[in-house]
Amino acid sequence: MLQYSPDFLLDLYARMVRIRHFEESVKFMFLEGALPGTIHQCQGQEATAVGVCSVLRNDDFITSTFRGHGHALAKGLTVEELLCELFGASTGCCKGKGGSMHVGNMAKGMVPGIAIVGGGIPVAAGMALAFKMQKTDRVAVSFFGDGAVAEGAFHEGVNMAAIWNLPAVFVCENNLYGASTHISQVMRDTNIARRVAGGYGIRTEQLDGNDVVAVHEAARAAVEECRAGSGPVFLELLTYRLTGHSRRDPGHYQPKEERAAWSEKDPIPRFAQVLRDRGIADDSVLEAIAQRIASEFDEAVEVARNAPQPTVEDLLTDVFV
Amino acid sequence: MRFELKMPDLATTDSEIRIGRWMVEPGEKVHRGQPLLEVETDKAAMEVESVVSGVLVEIVSQVDDAVSVGDVIAVFEVADTAKSSPMTRSAPEAAPSASDRSAAGTSPPPVESTPRVAEGAKGGMFARKRGAASPAGYDEGVRLTVAERTASKRLQESKQTIPHFYLQTRFKASAILARREATASVKLTWDAFFVRAVARAMGRFDRFRRRLEGDRLVPLATLAVGVAIDHAGELFVIPVVEPADKSVEEISAEIRANVERLRGGDADARMIRPAAMTISNLGVCNVECFLPIINPPETAILGIGKVAPCVVVREDGQLGVEPCGTLALSVDHRVAGGRYAAEFLDAIVRELESA
Ligand SMILES: Cc1ncc(C[n+]2csc(CCOP(=O)(O)OP(=O)(O)O)c2C)c(N)n1
Ligand SMILES: [Mg+2]
Repeated sequence: MLQYSPDFLLDLYARMVRIRHFEESVKFMFLEGALPGTIHQCQGQEATAVGVCSVLRNDDFITSTFRGHGHALAKGLTVEELLCELFGASTGCCKGKGGSMHVGNMAKGMVPGIAIVGGGIPVAAGMALAFKMQKTDRVAVSFFGDGAVAEGAFHEGVNMAAIWNLPAVFVCENNLYGASTHISQVMRDTNIARRVAGGYGIRTEQLDGNDVVAVHEAARAAVEECRAGSGPVFLELLTYRLTGHSRRDPGHYQPKEERAAWSEKDPIPRFAQVLRDRGIADDSVLEAIAQRIASEFDEAVEVARNAPQPTVEDLLTDVFV
Repeated sequence: MRFELKMPDLATTDSEIRIGRWMVEPGEKVHRGQPLLEVETDKAAMEVESVVSGVLVEIVSQVDDAVSVGDVIAVFEVADTAKSSPMTRSAPEAAPSASDRSAAGTSPPPVESTPRVAEGAKGGMFARKRGAASPAGYDEGVRLTVAERTASKRLQESKQTIPHFYLQTRFKASAILARREATASVKLTWDAFFVRAVARAMGRFDRFRRRLEGDRLVPLATLAVGVAIDHAGELFVIPVVEPADKSVEEISAEIRANVERLRGGDADARMIRPAAMTISNLGVCNVECFLPIINPPETAILGIGKVAPCVVVREDGQLGVEPCGTLALSVDHRVAGGRYAAEFLDAIVRELESA
């Protein structure tokens, strides 16, 4: 930890707080009826997105899922372009045509979210192949859940990346559930990292996905290997969603004790404690970060609320017809 | 200022949402994020959190009401200075900061922005969901309630996937009538006799104490006989646990108490608890005989018709008149064959006749 500057660590913290604040605030907007459709949120999983994206450059690419708000904020999309997208405004990151499940911004290295479980994995392998053929050192990172591991697309993407040594990092956010189904009901060996290592012959690592610094370090090693031509790498990040699968899911299948135990491992208070213990920040510093993020969010709401909606003429632009 | 709380879009389809229980009372102070009520959607029962901090002034939607997304369900009084709406206020209670950030001063001046979003020119999602008013005199049809839809799905699945067969018979009711007369002061429910008879007969028919799981008949941990109840048009099953060990008086009191709890809106009493089998009694409705649909995952159901004086042929060949009732047993053929079920039904009859 000593090798990191306080600014870097505080930035990791602020990025996680930004995601949490975004998700919690958006939750209330949804309850108020201000947002269309449902939303899939990532409270409790902030450290995976922030830790991994902290080692990426703007020209590295990520793919994400239906649960993409955190990945987007971590990859550098602004609160404003995301909020506008959630409001369906034409100033949103996908011009209001994607919505919550498809946030992304190609200029910032994020393919709009792919809601088909496992769908981003072959896309990342394809991008990694392009990066390799173009002889760049760019890296493609795919975020997906434990549920994706049983998809055919997972096998095709990971296998292809493996046989061609592609610069791809596969990041499995294992939060124990695919919707309401516990991993033990859909896999015999629930150690995904072990299975992937054995099955595809690539380097894999399983680690605490709620420890943002540990995730940063594992991701840095993985990305360095990829840039050096010895990818791909598979990371299994053990984490937990402290909210329903979607806003319409109360999450009754998560046993109370299990949820309580994982609340204790909530990555944000946990990292705040580390920062305090190391004398990097006291409560007033952390408070100032929270305030800054809250007002940044409030300003973005104001913009999103008054942003123009797409017009009928926009119906046929940016789509295949 | 007044704040109208609208039903959030919690259902997975366009279906209505039923109010299960209010967890706060008018006059109570609530804070943003506090669970206010329980609702039942087409998919799950869940709590609804308050989107404002303030005082609950009025509950608009009562328990059991079926409401649509965007309907006003409660009214709050919120402080004019309160950052009440996430549209103007965004500090989440669950935020990871060390201290409470609810203090005013970090957000733009409060605007009553929720209605602007929901009903403004752009139209919030609630506004989009609402259709135009239908022309006068046009009957749009009656929409099934959430509970009705759930029940219809289950019953359709049962009828389509369980190979039902049916056995009918008659029983002599004089013993029950005598017993009811002898205890006229407490007025035993008819159902208590049927529950007990079924339970006692089950004691000798092992297959009816089991449930089909895949290709295995697994034993049930507890034996319960369910009583089908129609409460305000909704179907419920009241389980009587281990009735073979109970007296008719006890069973009768238990059924009555549970019906009261149902009527009182007790959410617990509404929970679905499967029994070994259910009895369904339409005798009071003047029905002679009917063939009920099995209530899955149960394996049989007993339909009970009315008890009335009937002409019977006595053993000596003479005609006589005796009070009789009819029984129809619907059975899952995967669980029991005709002969086995017939013997079971006969055992029920013998229990009833020696009540
Ligand atoms: C191919 C496919 N099948 C099913 C679905 C429906 N679905 C959406 S999310 C989800 C669960 C995904 O679980 P997991 O991959 O573990 O991600 P998590 O939700 O836990 O982040 C399912 C089954 C889908 N979107 N795509
Ligand atoms: Mg999962």
